[in-house]
Amino acid sequence: MQNSPSHTNAPYTLLPEDPSPARPPASSRRPVKVFAATAASVVFLTSLVMLIVNQSPETPTESDHPPRSDPSVRDRLSYNWTNAMFAWQRTAFHFQPEKNWMNDPDGPLYYMGWYHLFYQYNPDSAVWGNITWGHAVSKDLIHWLYLPLAMVPDRWFDAGGVWTGSATLLPDGRIVILYTGDTDESIQVQNLAYPANLSDPLLIEWVKYPDNPVIVPPAGINPEEFRDPTTAWMGPDGTWRILVGSKVDGSGIALIYQTSNFTAFEAQPGLLHAVNGTGMWECVDFYPVSTNSSNGLETSVVGPGVKHVLKASLDDLKKDYYAIGTYDPVSDTWTPDDPEADVGMGLQVDYGRYYASKTFFDQNTGRRILWGWINETDTDYDDLAKGWASVQTIPRVVTFDNKTGSNILEWPVEEVESLRLNSTEFDDILVEAGSAVLLDIGMATQLDISVEFEIEGSDALEALEEPEAIIECATAQNRTTLGPFGLLVLADKSLSELTPIYFHIAKSTNGSLTTLFCADETRSSKALEVFKKVYGGPVAVLDDEKFTMRLLVDHSIIESFAQGGRTVITSRIYPTEAIYGAAKLFLFNNATGVNVTASLEIWQMNSAFIRPFPLEEM
Amino acid sequence: MKALVCFLLLLLLLATLPSPTRSFEFPAREMADLIDQTCRLTPFYDLCISSLRSDPESGAADVRGLARIMAGSVLATASRTLDRIQELLGQAPDPETERPLAYCAELYIPVVKYTLPQAIEALGKGQLGFAVYGLSDAGKEAEECEKNLSGQGGSPVTEGNELVRNLVDVAVAIIEILQRSF
Repeated sequence: MQNSPSHTNAPYTLLPEDPSPARPPASSRRPVKVFAATAASVVFLTSLVMLIVNQSPETPTESDHPPRSDPSVRDRLSYNWTNAMFAWQRTAFHFQPEKNWMNDPDGPLYYMGWYHLFYQYNPDSAVWGNITWGHAVSKDLIHWLYLPLAMVPDRWFDAGGVWTGSATLLPDGRIVILYTGDTDESIQVQNLAYPANLSDPLLIEWVKYPDNPVIVPPAGINPEEFRDPTTAWMGPDGTWRILVGSKVDGSGIALIYQTSNFTAFEAQPGLLHAVNGTGMWECVDFYPVSTNSSNGLETSVVGPGVKHVLKASLDDLKKDYYAIGTYDPVSDTWTPDDPEADVGMGLQVDYGRYYASKTFFDQNTGRRILWGWINETDTDYDDLAKGWASVQTIPRVVTFDNKTGSNILEWPVEEVESLRLNSTEFDDILVEAGSAVLLDIGMATQLDISVEFEIEGSDALEALEEPEAIIECATAQNRTTLGPFGLLVLADKSLSELTPIYFHIAKSTNGSLTTLFCADETRSSKALEVFKKVYGGPVAVLDDEKFTMRLLVDHSIIESFAQGGRTVITSRIYPTEAIYGAAKLFLFNNATGVNVTASLEIWQMNSAFIRPFPLEEM
Repeated sequence: MKALVCFLLLLLLLATLPSPTRSFEFPAREMADLIDQTCRLTPFYDLCISSLRSDPESGAADVRGLARIMAGSVLATASRTLDRIQELLGQAPDPETERPLAYCAELYIPVVKYTLPQAIEALGKGQLGFAVYGLSDAGKEAEECEKNLSGQGGSPVTEGNELVRNLVDVAVAIIEILQRSF
């Protein structure tokens, strides 16, 4: 038992040295007792105040003024944004730093009870530059706590930026990170880093291998097109393989490197795969999925009942594409199941504003988890004025779609459901052709929505459907016999601003029907220079299925999942009117020939209170 | 003379009587030691007292030491609760009983394996915020386990869940004493 001499102004901790009951009471105890009682009531009052403060809803604390910023920035905003409007755009439960620019998610992993997320981060500005690795941890993939920067560009081999990379957990418990460094001469190299202290569960300090880089661009590869090393997987010979994306003659390629110790790498003569005309492959990801269970698979798993997903972020299109195929560990090659839907030609990971996605195997729960970066679609000047840019999606579980056999399913991790507050249920609401129904749910800016639609009497009307030459998402105002129908999100009462998320059933010229899942941002905001287009893609709706959607609405981001995650669209929305209490939710049916009925369950979502880790020490 | 002798004998008698102890003179609370003072500032006084006093090192501990002992109690209770859950799972219950129990095990395993040991270690290093976060998380997982079980009326694990939550509340309150002191 010791007194703490450095804290003499806290009499409570300086209680008598010998606290045994046999000691006769000293008169000095009475003031201590009074102090204890006072302290207790102070604690109670403070806790009460803290409770009230923490529970107040997010309302703008600044008055409704234009933001204070450089006049040259303010003159070029895409709208007369006020502080209140900008403040509303911040998300409540999606990961984003407190301020400044973020892009690709990096090195996600689970270690000693914590999920780790690293991310491309500019600590100095709300536009890309001076790229470091930001760092955050969470126990549940939802409630994140910011940690100090993990790596900054302080060596010649990453002076131009600590770019994207991946983590590998070794069987002996070590963690290795491989990342792209942009050197002081703008050459892209691959570097090794590892935790300074594996007994620190927060993995705060990182060490860069002194003899970096471990891989330099090979002959025949453009040194500015060689980046984003993947998580390693073990081959049959017990050595490790990684992929680095690049480009040759307009073909996107995945280069293979082999290592036994992560410091010495050997370039493999062949490529894992290449696809003509797809351009530079950034953020390559390569992972196994089980075809006969919903469990995730550790990255090295091969064998029967396993297929491999190969994914690339196409630099030319700024879209993430993937394909499912078979990996041959002996020849180190991968072949797509459907060559017509090869990487870059077929399925997209997400049909919205989405890029640089990366998965990891969560060994805690046995899931394959997917992260994706969501950029802003407002202007750089808007971002500089509001002081931040970009969000990450809610992490998604990836599984193989057994029913179609030809795509993956993505679904928000179930931990997001811990944010659900109260819910409202609507059963069998009739939405007549050409109408909208306002859903009375109170606030409509932080929601988890599950909805299923049924078309009434569609069979006879199928024949009436006009065939379309090009099957793609068009605006929700393109009315056809069978749709579109869906939800109007972040809509104001007068529908002067609205974001339709919907199904559109199209008939091709050969008579077959395709369902498209779409998000129409064209009328989402009155701000003229915000980038607003129609996003979406096809979604298989099987015979025994209704049309189902799940939406996570979180201020300026909407994540929309159709048919259990067969097709996903992430949208960035910046309304000028449909914000705070003015934002509403409607059902709509723009079909000319059918009514739809909808059943919904809608939850209000709590904030995730993402904040700095309480690191201060006594 | 006789009166004087009697008086002196009386005085002698009185002098040999055991004098009333100080605790007789003053109210019992004046005897309060650090454990008592500390437990008063927690939401479960009796639980706090019994938990701390059952540890032989608590008598000589300062507030930080008491916090560590209490955090140790949380870990011990969580471990016992997890053992109970796994015992029940081992009895091959029907699927309706099994599912929430398995979910509870999933919640408790990282708590026992990582969260609470890290909170205890953080306390030892003076990382009070880290310790509070971990202990609070353990309490939340116990609450989540209980929510999931309670559909079945009187779960045998309920006692453990409630004890964990109450011990967490006590431990966090003790750490908050430390946090206020600095």
